[in-house]
Amino acid sequence: MAVEVASAAATGTMEITVSKGELLRELTATQGVVERKTTIPILSNYLFEAVGDKLSLTATDLDLSLRTSCGAKVKKEGSCTIPARKLYDYVRLLPDAEITIKMLENHWVSIRCGRSNTKMVGMAKSNFPALPVFPTAGVIKIPAAVLRAMIAKTGFAISSEESRYTLNGALMVLKAESITMVATDGHRLAHVERAGEKFDGVSGEMKTLIPKKAMDELKILLDSTDAEVVEFAKDEATLFFRIGSRLLTSRQLTGQFPNYDAVLPKDNNKSVSVQGAELGAAISRVAQFADERSRAVRMKMEKGELKLSASSTETGESEDTLEIKYDGDSVSIGFNAQYLIDFIKAIGGGEVLIELKDAQSAGQLRPALSEDYKYRYIVMPMRI
Amino acid sequence: MPPRLIFHVDMDAFFVSVEELFDPALKGRPVVVGGQRHERGVVSAASYAARKFGVHSAMPLRTAAKLCPQAVFVDGHPDRYRDYSYRIHAVLNSFSPQVEMASIDEAYLDMSGTERLHGPPLRAAHALHIKMKSATQLNCSIGIGASRLMAKVSSAQAKPNGVLWVLPGQEARFLAPLDVAVIPGVGKVMERNLLALGIKKIGDLARLPDSELEERFGKWGLALAGKAQGQDAGGWFDTEVGENTVPKSISHEHTYNDDTASPDQLESTLMRLSEMVARRLREASLQARTIQLKLRYQDFTTITRAHTLPSPSQLDNEIFEQVRTLFRKHWKRGAAVRLLGVQASSLNGQAGASAQLDLLDGGKQQRWQQALSAADRLRDKYGESSVSLASGMKATFRERTHENPAALPGKNKPTP
Repeated sequence: MAVEVASAAATGTMEITVSKGELLRELTATQGVVERKTTIPILSNYLFEAVGDKLSLTATDLDLSLRTSCGAKVKKEGSCTIPARKLYDYVRLLPDAEITIKMLENHWVSIRCGRSNTKMVGMAKSNFPALPVFPTAGVIKIPAAVLRAMIAKTGFAISSEESRYTLNGALMVLKAESITMVATDGHRLAHVERAGEKFDGVSGEMKTLIPKKAMDELKILLDSTDAEVVEFAKDEATLFFRIGSRLLTSRQLTGQFPNYDAVLPKDNNKSVSVQGAELGAAISRVAQFADERSRAVRMKMEKGELKLSASSTETGESEDTLEIKYDGDSVSIGFNAQYLIDFIKAIGGGEVLIELKDAQSAGQLRPALSEDYKYRYIVMPMRI
Repeated sequence: MPPRLIFHVDMDAFFVSVEELFDPALKGRPVVVGGQRHERGVVSAASYAARKFGVHSAMPLRTAAKLCPQAVFVDGHPDRYRDYSYRIHAVLNSFSPQVEMASIDEAYLDMSGTERLHGPPLRAAHALHIKMKSATQLNCSIGIGASRLMAKVSSAQAKPNGVLWVLPGQEARFLAPLDVAVIPGVGKVMERNLLALGIKKIGDLARLPDSELEERFGKWGLALAGKAQGQDAGGWFDTEVGENTVPKSISHEHTYNDDTASPDQLESTLMRLSEMVARRLREASLQARTIQLKLRYQDFTTITRAHTLPSPSQLDNEIFEQVRTLFRKHWKRGAAVRLLGVQASSLNGQAGASAQLDLLDGGKQQRWQQALSAADRLRDKYGESSVSLASGMKATFRERTHENPAALPGKNKPTP
């Protein structure tokens, strides 16, 4: 692995001036990547590198790294490391003015702003891990809004069970004209597909497992960017996402994502349409009386009525009824309330189609109207 | 309400007596059940002759060998004990509809209201003695009282092969001269605490005002005050005989005869232990939510690491998967291991539990459930080792059984 640093920056004692606002914005954006545990002290530091008219900041926890930059008046090029959390907490409290950052001896760093003067204890920058270099070829452009929407529709279904580590991420499938994202924790599965895109450089199917941490961080970055395009690339070990001036890299998740095609329901013939917001409210109400551990609620589809109910020996029982247009056989099925609520939140209200088969088979939920994204959510029932 | 009539039936030197049935030459000799004299592990049971030398259960086998070199050391046969335990249970069931096996070799019977059927208490006890002997060839001791506590204390005093009835109203007088350690639940620590207050006999305890005991020992102190009067008080004693009490945890451990650092062997042992734990969960119709690994290294440093399952389980493979994940994460690779243990806790009954079905396993869970219940039926019929998962086979080891499992009441029972 090589380091993406101009060699001039490696020498000299850095001295720069940046605006508080710009610096704080980048510090805020990178906080999520800074290692919280202090087992490897250098990882709770930023790497600051000043070259040309730019300050670049790098944070990493070895799994994930984020490099970003902001404009700076560079008096002397150079680099240093600074404790990340402390710097963030301190800069937040500074007045809106220019901040001068200067490297001193023994890895001390001076921070001056107006009449505030602080010296922070840094570490030798040679300890900072080398970061993977953004590949020069094979870069794919994904519209930022598309990636953001896909993460929002699937990210919540990723498993955090360590024993099922291939489920600790979402699968992204790129084809020349479509993008698909799938996530599952073994109990439910979120699947979203968008066709009609054009991905230059993709031939056939390009499958990538994106770890949960990277998904979460991407979402934060995409929520706070004006960039319209994400540049995506990967090598054997690393995934790269460039969003404007920020570059997120993530260690790849190895392993085989389950064959999800096999579990997508094909003959769920009992189907109704309900208002998502109403359904969500009803589930939330009855779930107050569900068993606290299992969160099981019962859904009963009958002629003209969708009944939701829950009960537990400690708290009592509760039922809510929604009016529906349904004339088929009645079916009664148990679900984890949280799983249903997660989906309703992800679609933000609107009509929901519920498609069931029987009490033992997976149910499918999807938005009734969806031209842009083909979005489906599969939930396995609970035996109650 | 007329006083209740409770029997406590405790088999005399159960494991040893069963072994004697299979090998009559053992009769009258000092016998230690649990393993060979040079092996690691502990004594499961000792014959009365061996107990005279100070040998008692839970003592290391090697210590027992030093105390009583002439003893005959016998491997335990859990299947035999289980089999006899079932026979004992059957005999007891013919005396009362309310029978609670408190461990493999002792039981409580609620005999209230059986006078017209079995006659007065002593006659019923006599009949039980005779029937037990003829059906199992084993001796037992029977304690009779108006509470479970009295029944339990009396049976210990009646040993061996005796009957003791403490008449209602006479409880306090009967208990007064006995050591406080005779009270079930009073262990070494409590005994020491009481001794520090100058309390040695139960009579001393009974003279203290309840409020003082409560002040010093909280709820437990109040229960103790009740116990000193011969009442059932506190914890398990507050439940009815035969009332289903869910255990707090189920666990199995294995100590290697030779420490090992072989990942294969270690994981294989974990498989076997998971199998045993899961089997007992299914037997008790329980589901576990928390799985714990216990790992003791050569130098006796011991770690326990637990994980909460996404949904409760009673299946071998699911429990093993968790334990293995914990093991791979926490075992110092290459370090020799002395003991491994698997524990299941946060137990709840199946009736109340809703099971989340799995999306990706293609009905694997269902098939495991079916396969394992078939395996359970084979074990019921042909013994515990008749069927086992292949990955656990490399780790077949002797199952160790204890007459008074730690999870059940009676573990502090005084040596009769």
